[in-house]
Amino acid sequence: MVRVIAALLLPIAVPAVLTAVLWALPGHPAEIVCPPGICDGSEALAERWNLHKGPWHFFSNWLAQAVQGEFGNSWRAQPGVPVAELLLQSLPQTTQLLVLSMVPLIVGSVAAALGWLPKRLDPLWQAIGLVPAVILALFCAAQVQIEYGAMSHEGWPAMLRLLLGALVLGVADSALSGAITGTRGVFEAELRQRYIQIALLRGETPLSNALPNVLPALIGQFRARALHIMSGTVVVEVVLGISGLGELLFDGTLMQDFGVVLAAAWAFSLLSAALLLLQGLLEVMVALWVRWAPSGVVEPAEVAP
Amino acid sequence: MRTSLTRKVALAFGLAALAVLLLMSFFAPENLSTPTALIGGEKGPLEVPPFGTDERGIPLLEYAMQGASIVTLPSLVSGAVVMLLATVAGLVRCAGLTWVDSVIQFGSELVGSLPRLVVVLVVALVLPVDWKTLLPIGITWALLAAPGAMDEAAATAGRLGGERFVEALRAHGFSGVRIYLYHVVWMNLRPVIVRQGAEVTMQVVFLEIALSYLALRRNEPSFTHSAAEFSWATLLYQGYTALLGSPLLHSLFTGLGLVALTAGMAQALRVAARAR
Repeated sequence: MVRVIAALLLPIAVPAVLTAVLWALPGHPAEIVCPPGICDGSEALAERWNLHKGPWHFFSNWLAQAVQGEFGNSWRAQPGVPVAELLLQSLPQTTQLLVLSMVPLIVGSVAAALGWLPKRLDPLWQAIGLVPAVILALFCAAQVQIEYGAMSHEGWPAMLRLLLGALVLGVADSALSGAITGTRGVFEAELRQRYIQIALLRGETPLSNALPNVLPALIGQFRARALHIMSGTVVVEVVLGISGLGELLFDGTLMQDFGVVLAAAWAFSLLSAALLLLQGLLEVMVALWVRWAPSGVVEPAEVAP
Repeated sequence: MRTSLTRKVALAFGLAALAVLLLMSFFAPENLSTPTALIGGEKGPLEVPPFGTDERGIPLLEYAMQGASIVTLPSLVSGAVVMLLATVAGLVRCAGLTWVDSVIQFGSELVGSLPRLVVVLVVALVLPVDWKTLLPIGITWALLAAPGAMDEAAATAGRLGGERFVEALRAHGFSGVRIYLYHVVWMNLRPVIVRQGAEVTMQVVFLEIALSYLALRRNEPSFTHSAAEFSWATLLYQGYTALLGSPLLHSLFTGLGLVALTAGMAQALRVAARAR
């Protein structure tokens, strides 16, 4: 229930907090949105952004337009281009990157759960995980540039950038090591439970018994990692030249393009809310699975006297 | 015995690394030396110790020191913020303030659902020009990282027995200050708090490197420091050109060395604070 509320609040909270910050900071919001050194005509800018009638007017107007997919035009990052168009162009790249980057994590988790990865290798994964994404991405970008040139953004080089980006996100910043040690830790704690020992005596496998009980914890861990990876997409996309949501957000921030940044941040909050809902849904499904007793369980009434 | 020795060695290494960062930060030059060449002035570490020079003949040591002055204080403050919030969460669990606990949990769920770098970039956008330094960005990062740290600290306090643990110690006649600060925080929450603080300190340093590196790739000034200053990202950017063929491989190694020093410091402090 908390997750559903948080998921519903998240897309509202992002523009709300930004509105609060804009009005809390010293100076006129229009001058914060675009400092006088960069833009002229604060009053026109305030009117254009609905900043002239107070925070509620700005917030409600922006949200109402955002729900209809109307974000206005970019005015500094890619002048004149509708922001909605930029979002639609960049979203598939980021989604692909996110999905692909989950592959090493899933493989690592499954291998850890099945005991295929020896525990003594953990320091190795942890050492690799200490490397920041920016450094791994830097080496990958150099490799692509040497092989295919700086402007190689189509065909196989573009796919290679995507794959390398996913690998970086899946390995750097403790993503893989966290998945391996986290999954193993959850399983080890569960396998120490008494019911698992009884299941073993009954000739059942420990995995099939432990899995329904550890899944909620594993799902929670995965959402946290997906969120972490989502954050890392900004770095990886800019360094590797992948035209995704992260690159759009960074360029918008660097160019002080308020419309692009707010829209991109909102898109990220929608992705995050979707992850929260997915987690909630999966947790409900697991709860239902656990409730429908596993096959082979003999009800007391059926036991012969 | 061996564990105790490991902890002592780790503590010594962690503090030494921290001292190096503080010293570099304290003695950092306000401006870099005047370039001796436009291009082709690079010298190796043996010619200009300890790190050599870049293609304009500027010693890499100056970049390293300026970079340290950008990251050291903000990253330490950010680490301290997380440590403080985690301590509060642990104490709240022990004090049995259930409604505060619930508020913290809901807030954690909401704040923890936001991708951190996205929030950091939005904050960087709305910060007034004069405030565009690493400190507000680092504190934002710390606030976003805090829910995880608070959750872990509260869980640790919960495993300890929470309210019952405090009651039991009161029954022994200990004062509130001794119970909360010594038994709860120092004896039990310390490993969690120090680890989280050290990790956030390291993450803020890496965040600065990442943001400055991305800005360098776009030939724009970073929002973590003034245009006159140079971050460690400059060394990595020079290193990137070395990978493409320019003779600046020593820049790459210097940049990677500084990253390793920071990561090593965080890991060493984590090991030093590990529970017995």
